[in-house]
Amino acid sequence: MDFELDTEQRAWQEEVRAFLREHVTPALRAELAEHDLEKRDGELMAFRRKIGEKGWFGLNWPVEHGGLGLGPIFQHLLVSEFEYWGVPGPDLTVTSVAPMIMRHGSDRNKAEFLTPIARGEMVCAVGYSEPGAGTDLASLRTRAVLEGTMEDGEWVINGAKTWNSGAQRSTHEWLCVRTDPDAPKHRGISVIIVPIDHPGVTIRPLTAWSGYRTNEAFFDDVRVPATNLIGEVNKGWRYITGALDLERGALTNAGDLRRAVDDLLELARQPRRDGVVPANDPTVRRRLAHLDADVEVATLMGFEAASLLDEGVIPSVEVSVEKIFTSELRQRIAEVALDLLGPDGLLGHRTAAAPDDGRFERLYRIAPLLRFGAGTNEVLRDVIAQRGHAMPSYGR
Amino acid sequence: MKLVVTTQERDLAASLRELFATHCPPELVRALREPGGERVPEKLWASLVAAEVLALPFGEDVGGAGGTLDDLAVVYAEAGRALCPTVVLSTLHLGLAVAALGSAEQQSRVLTPLCRGELRGAVALASPYDAADVRPTLRAERIGGDRVAVSGRLDHVLDADLADRVLATATLTTYGEPDRLVGVLLDPRAPGLTLTALPTSDSDRLQQLDLDHVVVPAADVLTGPEGAGLATDGVRRVALLVRALQCVDMAAGADAVLERTVAHVRGREQFGRAIASFQAAQHLVADVHIAVRAARLAARSAVFWHGRGRPAVRETAVAVLRAATAYRRATLDGHQLHGGMGYVVETDLHLWSERARLLGALGGGPDVAAGWLEEEIARG
Repeated sequence: MDFELDTEQRAWQEEVRAFLREHVTPALRAELAEHDLEKRDGELMAFRRKIGEKGWFGLNWPVEHGGLGLGPIFQHLLVSEFEYWGVPGPDLTVTSVAPMIMRHGSDRNKAEFLTPIARGEMVCAVGYSEPGAGTDLASLRTRAVLEGTMEDGEWVINGAKTWNSGAQRSTHEWLCVRTDPDAPKHRGISVIIVPIDHPGVTIRPLTAWSGYRTNEAFFDDVRVPATNLIGEVNKGWRYITGALDLERGALTNAGDLRRAVDDLLELARQPRRDGVVPANDPTVRRRLAHLDADVEVATLMGFEAASLLDEGVIPSVEVSVEKIFTSELRQRIAEVALDLLGPDGLLGHRTAAAPDDGRFERLYRIAPLLRFGAGTNEVLRDVIAQRGHAMPSYGR
Repeated sequence: MKLVVTTQERDLAASLRELFATHCPPELVRALREPGGERVPEKLWASLVAAEVLALPFGEDVGGAGGTLDDLAVVYAEAGRALCPTVVLSTLHLGLAVAALGSAEQQSRVLTPLCRGELRGAVALASPYDAADVRPTLRAERIGGDRVAVSGRLDHVLDADLADRVLATATLTTYGEPDRLVGVLLDPRAPGLTLTALPTSDSDRLQQLDLDHVVVPAADVLTGPEGAGLATDGVRRVALLVRALQCVDMAAGADAVLERTVAHVRGREQFGRAIASFQAAQHLVADVHIAVRAARLAARSAVFWHGRGRPAVRETAVAVLRAATAYRRATLDGHQLHGGMGYVVETDLHLWSERARLLGALGGGPDVAAGWLEEEIARG
């Protein structure tokens, strides 16, 4: 095991930092602070274009698919830096959708979708959850029926998705649909790419407790070419679970946690409104020390998962471990912040009086999301036990 | 940066696992604890010497095998899984300390027989309550011919009763000169040295050493370069390296307990089905798994950075915080999942539970390690 960045990796980290120093402008920060990310054009989109120009959306893809061929560790370093800076970088489209297309897609899928994804021109919302199928994803009911042949026919899609984050600024849906209603529930599912501005697609906003906008999406007789099917019909469950493993890997990066604890340590050394400096209290320092240590561990877990990916393994048990560890740690960081700041920590996000612009006030409200989202931690504990230790499924 | 096990590490681990499975079964671990029985595992010792385990991290010039601390971490992991008797590890600790702090002559004189398995050792370089606290409790004064006389008390020294040499530190006072930190290679049977067992519930490996004017020949005094005394940082580095290696031991021991526990719940039925099929049981297993993975990464990272010459206080603190808690959790949840089946002393689970207690406490547990990090936070 090698815990030290090599020369090339350090140079890469420095290149990413230099890029961020230059392009993370006050205007971009101001737009991000609004945290709705609703604009199809604006500072964030301009920032995305710059990332696209660098080729960094496809930085770990093979060169033949329009990538830079740098590999997962380089991607991990980039994402860690972006998270530390609090700016969005490569999203699920490049980190989990594209790899599944590369691995399982038809030649036509690859030709049609990979290049625009690498350029940052094609952004997917992932359509998994439905009002009746959240954690129990395989019971999804959105239907797709083939009219005509696989060569020149069309899929006709009907149904609804929920928690469809980012749909308002996406170009496409990575949509999971039922294509064989008679098959056992994991076996009748397919994945179809749906352009989001197609007739019959309706997006309706849902606001989360954190202030974050997510969406409901409705599909009424939406027609897309049969060739928009990813890979093979009724094999979608493999692509979804593969993409989810990669998604959890991408979500578990500890860059934002390192930043949160660094900021919290800084805040703890400043006087509150009552004049008290929280870090003068040894019990506060003790709690901070635990958070600090756990962020170090989370960081190592991130590098471990990236290293395994680099070896060609999709680390499903490892990312489940990481996802549980980081999401529960994020919640603990938020809890310590709330305790340490006292009433100052209630002051609303984006209000001038709030410590650190209300960053921790918001973090507390964001924290629950990743504990239940992207696979609830309870289901992931089942994954660890069942895939990691061959304990029997109890038929959930 | 690549956090995967290398082929070389995998091969080393596999051969050691086989060695320990053959020569260090739980029956041996149990037998060594029996009052009045053998305390030194001679056959295991011989096989470890033959496999060059005791020689592993030391230079070829002193008869060592020229391995790295990362290799040694693999040894500690397999030793921890198998509950390798601590006298083996204490001997390695003596070797690491002399390699770091001794003169060339001392290194050759101690390490050469140690590598051959002819010298057993132990160390008392730091407070048993806090591995980062290396203030000596012993006082030394010069007597004729550069010999020193050492007095004072050492508490909770692991394996001192089995050792040929115990390396401790002392404050050397010389009239008209500043005090110096020195190391003294003590013979536990020297006149003036009294060993008192501090009985623990599993055996008597912890010893209290009372020294009353114990004469140490000049050759056995570690005085650092130019005789100016040892650097405190240098001593702390060794003490923390030992603690980091113990964390690898703890993480691997916890992993072994997890495996045993899973094997038990998969086979044992209650209410007409395997215990392993209950979600509550699976979630306990998953939580131990998470704790073990965290501990393993943190411990290996700490040893890695020691091997790269970093003081690694921070990394060692993280490792202790994670490894000590993971081992306790694995054993206590292991008892929970085994129920009465694992709680009786006829079964082996409690052997790991004892090691978890010992290594979790000796040198300072999670609270102490958190204190090392807090110092950094207070400094800002």
